[in-house]
Amino acid sequence: MTWDWNFVFQILPDLLVGVWYTILITIGSAAIALIGGLLLAIFENVSTRAGRLVVRFFLGLFKGVPILVLLYFGYYLLPQFGLTLPAMAIGIAVLGLVYAAFCSEVYRGGLITIPAGLRDASVALGLSPYVMWRRVYVPLMIQRASPALINYVLTLFRQTSFLFAIGVPVLIGKAQVAGYQSFRYLEPFTVAGALYLALNIPFLFLLSRFKTKYA
Amino acid sequence: MKAVLEYWPALYQGLLTTIWVAMCSITGAAVGSLILGPLRMSSSRGVRLFALFIIEFIRGASALVALFWVFYSLPSMPHMPRLSPMVASILVLSLIGASYGAEIVRGGILAIPRGQLDASHALGLGKFRTLTKVVLPQALSQIVPSFAGLAADMVKWTSIVSFVGVRDLVYVGDSIRTATYETVSVYVVLGAIYWALCFICELIFQCVEHFLPLNKALRVTKCRSQPVPRAQMQTEGVKP
Repeated sequence: MTWDWNFVFQILPDLLVGVWYTILITIGSAAIALIGGLLLAIFENVSTRAGRLVVRFFLGLFKGVPILVLLYFGYYLLPQFGLTLPAMAIGIAVLGLVYAAFCSEVYRGGLITIPAGLRDASVALGLSPYVMWRRVYVPLMIQRASPALINYVLTLFRQTSFLFAIGVPVLIGKAQVAGYQSFRYLEPFTVAGALYLALNIPFLFLLSRFKTKYA
Repeated sequence: MKAVLEYWPALYQGLLTTIWVAMCSITGAAVGSLILGPLRMSSSRGVRLFALFIIEFIRGASALVALFWVFYSLPSMPHMPRLSPMVASILVLSLIGASYGAEIVRGGILAIPRGQLDASHALGLGKFRTLTKVVLPQALSQIVPSFAGLAADMVKWTSIVSFVGVRDLVYVGDSIRTATYETVSVYVVLGAIYWALCFICELIFQCVEHFLPLNKALRVTKCRSQPVPRAQMQTEGVKP
């Protein structure tokens, strides 16, 4: 079987729709992951021993179970409780929660490198805990965590391909449909792979530049 | 839950398949990253760029895309073999693991003080022997803990092999779900098994860490892994 450019151009619009979905899902779940991870890290820091155990349990759950199993779990389980969400919402939520667990570890790593003197200084200045977190700790945490966080967002982008398992038309899902409709698997997957690379490698390159500059 | 446990023999087969795929691909990734990592730091620009290209190329395409490409598209190219689902999945997972592991190996090697390299050079050791006899034995105690995290991730990545028809845990779980409609219990069991597998994987790597040359040497000399600060040494006195 040889490479057929006509076929490539025929399926390209469909694949680009997949790219659009992929980007949309990445943005949605990255927002959940980055904000949720920050909140989890703060909550773990300020909560009591019991609260910390609960957070640890959820982190272990989301980090120890494959995304695929969690996706199927959400997809088949929620309707049994009468909650019928579109597959895409479930996918965004699951990816977001899993990566919130990963991101919270990163934020926590940033938090423990902040010297204790800052807390003392905030107390001495009479800052309320809210202001202390909002103005002192969170900016520092974000600054220290940002290279690792960007890395996770890029990983998240690659992992969106799992969502095709529950029928979300992400790039790889579109490629598979194009493949089995025409029994030509060479072009759809090659083009899909090239698109993933084209969207990913510039950011990986920028990230490595960013890391050498700031870390 | 009872209905699911009746299918335990099938689930057990799936578990064995998952463990087999995970073991093969983690081993493959370890070997691959030990090759790619040093190549990535080669003194020749060509080799370095080649290794960088391979690493970014494999990493940039997601695991699923790579797997589908190798399984569906590769046989369409001339002179390419049609791989069985198992071989294709182990190959792809190993390559992806190796491309992530190469960065870990690189980090570990970079952490070795430059003086060690100069000393080996002064002793007349070649590059390969410097790497295998001096740098890697020390770097391994940095590499292995990070690699343990990657290995636990790889156990989870094995779940994608069900898409090309390897009868692993997810595949078996899905057929049990369609047979019994016990969705909740099937996925609770699957989640628990995967969680336990990750946990066991980390335990195994903790054992491996115990037998690394540097850690062993440190235990023999009863030295702490971090050097004692000078001020502390003077006040406490170093115990013989």
